[in-house]
Amino acid sequence: MREPFPASPGLAGMAVEGAVDDGTADEGPADESVPLYTAVSQRGDPRAAARELADALCHPELGFVLFFCSAEYPLAALSEALNAAFAGVPVAGCTTAGEIAPEGYGRGCIVAIGLDRRHFAVSCALVDDLGGFDLMRAQRLVDGLLDDCRDRALAPLAEHSFALTLLDGLSSCEEQVLATLDAALGRIPSFGGSAGDDNRLAHTHVHAEGRFHGQAAVVVLINTRLPFEVFTTHHLRPRGEKLVVTRADRERRRVLELNALPAAEEYARLVGLPVAALDAAVFARHPLAVRLGEAYFVRAIQRVNDDGSLSFYCAVENGIVLTAMRPAPLLEDLEAVFDGLTERLGDPALIIACDCFLRRLELETLERVDAASRLMARSRVIGFNSYGEQHHGMHINQTFTGVAIGSRPAAGGS
Amino acid sequence: MDLDRPRAVPEDASPRERELLEENARLRRIAAALMERVESVGVAGAAPYAAFEHAVLLAEQVRERTEALQQTLAELHAAKAEAEAANLSKTRFLAAVSHDLMQPLNAARLFTSALEDHDLPAASTRLVGHVGRSLTDVEALLGTLVDISRLDAGVLEPDTAPFPVARLLDVLAEEFRHMAAARGLALHYVGSEAIIASDLALLARVVRNFLTNAIRYTEHGRILLGCRRRPDGLEILVGDTGPGIPEAQREAIFLEFQRLGERRDAEDRGLGLGLAIVDRIAGILDHPLRLASVPGRGSLFAVRVPFGRLPSSPARAPASAPAWEGDVLAGMRVWVVDDDPEICEGMAALLAGWGCGVRTATCLADLDTALETQAPGEAAEVLLVDYHLGEGDPDGLSVAARLRERQPGLAVVVITANHDASIKSLTRQLGYGCLLKPVKPLRLRMQLVGLRGGGSV
Repeated sequence: MREPFPASPGLAGMAVEGAVDDGTADEGPADESVPLYTAVSQRGDPRAAARELADALCHPELGFVLFFCSAEYPLAALSEALNAAFAGVPVAGCTTAGEIAPEGYGRGCIVAIGLDRRHFAVSCALVDDLGGFDLMRAQRLVDGLLDDCRDRALAPLAEHSFALTLLDGLSSCEEQVLATLDAALGRIPSFGGSAGDDNRLAHTHVHAEGRFHGQAAVVVLINTRLPFEVFTTHHLRPRGEKLVVTRADRERRRVLELNALPAAEEYARLVGLPVAALDAAVFARHPLAVRLGEAYFVRAIQRVNDDGSLSFYCAVENGIVLTAMRPAPLLEDLEAVFDGLTERLGDPALIIACDCFLRRLELETLERVDAASRLMARSRVIGFNSYGEQHHGMHINQTFTGVAIGSRPAAGGS
Repeated sequence: MDLDRPRAVPEDASPRERELLEENARLRRIAAALMERVESVGVAGAAPYAAFEHAVLLAEQVRERTEALQQTLAELHAAKAEAEAANLSKTRFLAAVSHDLMQPLNAARLFTSALEDHDLPAASTRLVGHVGRSLTDVEALLGTLVDISRLDAGVLEPDTAPFPVARLLDVLAEEFRHMAAARGLALHYVGSEAIIASDLALLARVVRNFLTNAIRYTEHGRILLGCRRRPDGLEILVGDTGPGIPEAQREAIFLEFQRLGERRDAEDRGLGLGLAIVDRIAGILDHPLRLASVPGRGSLFAVRVPFGRLPSSPARAPASAPAWEGDVLAGMRVWVVDDDPEICEGMAALLAGWGCGVRTATCLADLDTALETQAPGEAAEVLLVDYHLGEGDPDGLSVAARLRERQPGLAVVVITANHDASIKSLTRQLGYGCLLKPVKPLRLRMQLVGLRGGGSV
């Protein structure tokens, strides 16, 4: 019996397949690292700033723009300028207590990230009624985001997506909104930050749907084939002292008494300073935290009130036990975290970070801002100084929280 | 104890007493606050701090579960890798053993074939016939075991190509007609012109198995081999008038070592692996199997093969003479290169029996000597070369290429014990023939006849 010997059809077939063009002519081979465009503008004029960002980020495949801007900008004019500059491309962002630009810490500027639609499927929603944000609404919002993303999804939605939340940092609603949202997001990891206003504690804003909003939140769902990891870190370690909240005003996030003494007075005694000397720099160096299980969560103090009470950046309650904390070297901790991320993801293409403004304050006090800038620039951090961070539905303080995105799709697409 | 209402400080209290009482009052308030907190834990409410605490607990649970899941996954991966490694080494071992067994078996078959062509007393001829059949059985068993292991290890890649179904069925019909006749059965074959796309060798095993079973289990009556056109492919059918298969056993027969009924004749040496292999091969080829049977009346086994289309090259001229005709190979100059001297000798005996002029070489040096001493007009027509030559020598393909440089028209047939499709497709690309070890004399003869008739391989 003779075996059949046709002219190898396999080879011819392969050649044809290789020549098939998927319409993305300038896309490189899959194993090349994916470029992530970032930009910063120092210009105070909204139109000039928006123009400068657009010049750096715009290309035919630009699918979404994420920005963080100083609260100094005339916000209505900035919205208009951004809408004009990025005609048609959705833009989301928030005001800050300082920016993290490609070169490190910045102030009074606007930083932005351009997400390429070939690598990121993004959808975005606004929550403009934080008080009424119940589970039903959260579920509807998340379903809407997933539906919107599904058609453009680049990888299985549940495993290859994360959510970024930007909240009005003075709304005092973070805890409920986040816990509700997290329940609706299910397995999808989430992180985010509370918008800032350069430490004036007056008005913070988030931007979506073409304009800025107060008392609101923005949820951005990002789906990508690139590997990513949502992470949080802080450098604070417990001391021995404990303070019990014996009187609190939970609506206004105020602690009136610690250990049955006026709160400011008792805190001042703990840190060994007169009440009059208490300011944000002191709060940054002498934080208080609640312990839950093995972990400590800083509950950051916002200010001393005239009645001797302390306002917090997060929810407080009668009877909670606060542990006095001391800072360990901040940059060493951060560098170790970056090293771990690099080990797991390869060199990051981008880290989107929400960095508590109190950390920056500590670095400024210790004159370590330049070193921090170098470290962050090296790890491609873009982000902002926040009035509180969000991680998996938890509203946390005095942390560095974000997402690191690897530069190459994971082998095998898993 | 009423913690909320501190004791009144007596008027005449000393400063020390006053201090202690004040501290006592503070401690009562702290205790009260802590109690309030402790007692409110677990109360479902919309308190913001409770929401935070809940989120922390949830995140912790998620983290723990993720960790446990990752741990389990890692263990599973490790176990899987271990199992795969064990399986692979088993497959390698079997491949090595079979290769080593095939070599002497090959030689034995060639010798037996050569012996059959000698003029022997009738008694000896019968004995030689028994030896030949025993060798065939050993070879079949060995091949079956190797195949099962290879199929299980997933190393067998189908080599799919379009071909006329007649190319497969004509040969099988011829082969099994004799076998059926020997058992007093008639084989009824209905040919088809259809072109199908499949791996010829693997598909042949499936149909061969159907036929073997049909003949084995049918006491009297006839065997049918034929095809039926279906919308989604050609169904190759083998029917018999055997005992049939009870409904309850129709799945079980596709498992290993399952045999129906008691077999009494000594010729039957199968292990009951046949249909297990058929099932696996059909899976690999993605050819659905079908079984219909009426107990007491007969069974029908079918495999559905997709239609194919031949590349539009001019049809090859059919071989000018049937392979079994006596002296078509007379005078054909065949060179045999194999590192095993036994094989060389066996081949030489076999080929000489067909009237071929044979030269053999076991290594490159031998070959070079042969080339130097060859007389003009004695150049080889066909090179039969083993793919795996001795250590230090290049592989058969290189040897073939070398000889073709000197003699561009030389036809080449590569012989290999490696059943991977890769060598087969490589030889095909080069325009060479390819035979698998152990070389079956009939196949070899057909290759040679084809070469003599058509010229190209």
